[in-house]
Amino acid sequence: MTLLASPLSVVELACAALSAIVLVGYLVFRPPLVRGAKIALLFGLGVFPIGAAFSGNVQGFEATKERAFCGSCHVMALHAADSDDRASGSLASRHARNAMFGSENCYVCHANYGMFGTVLTKAGGLRHVWLYLTEYRNTPLDEDKKEIRLIDPGMMNGNCMECHSTEDALWLKVPSHFATVDDTRAGRLGCASAGCHGLAHPFWIPEPGPKP
Amino acid sequence: MTAQSSRRWLVVACVCALAALALMTWQIFDPTVWPVMVAMSLGQVLGTASFGAFGYVVLSDFRAQRRAAKGSSLPQTSSLPETK
Repeated sequence: MTLLASPLSVVELACAALSAIVLVGYLVFRPPLVRGAKIALLFGLGVFPIGAAFSGNVQGFEATKERAFCGSCHVMALHAADSDDRASGSLASRHARNAMFGSENCYVCHANYGMFGTVLTKAGGLRHVWLYLTEYRNTPLDEDKKEIRLIDPGMMNGNCMECHSTEDALWLKVPSHFATVDDTRAGRLGCASAGCHGLAHPFWIPEPGPKP
Repeated sequence: MTAQSSRRWLVVACVCALAALALMTWQIFDPTVWPVMVAMSLGQVLGTASFGAFGYVVLSDFRAQRRAAKGSSLPQTSSLPETK
């Protein structure tokens, strides 16, 4: 529960409670529509619900970044469980143990970067919901593991490079980094691939081969 | 719009708003996919519709009052519905 974690939740609950008091009061007493009743209803049907909706939407958008949110669809249960596993050596789990990623590690690594990254990520999330409803809702987890894959694996390197810039001298001193730097930056060679840093998730299925 | 129908509209608006508030607060206690999606879609639609219904009732009442005020200045009384 995020009730105590966020003041927005408290604001939303307070607005909703105040609105409910006004609305239930109107439904019980049914006063004539005089000026006082109109003002009370303006608050009960307008001001307080808008306050609740605004704070609730911001809170909702924040909730969509949490790993618990991503893992609430059964097809992501294994991925979320792996990130939760502090003993796991996967890239996802190792990043989840980093405070910069923490409980939002799914979002931090998978969100599109750039100016409209958040909007694109949310639009992509709606696509995931559509696919879940139409294709994966009733499929067994073993089947999902084999079928679900990244739509744009090349984008992932861009996300890695937000922290690991590939410009640092120490990074370039590593022979395999130096030899593949152009392919890495272009997204032709995945940082999270079997020959490099390993699969991000133990269940993730890489693309058949490097893109031309 | 008669007083009875405006009252009915307001009752519907209040019920819709209460449902919207319930849907919007559900996501706080269970921040998973469906509660959040429902809060941001159905909750918003119901809330907006209830506010729209309230606006419609208030506007209709205002127009009826204006018409009544105009009618009272004429020699013959009009057959305006009760707006209280």
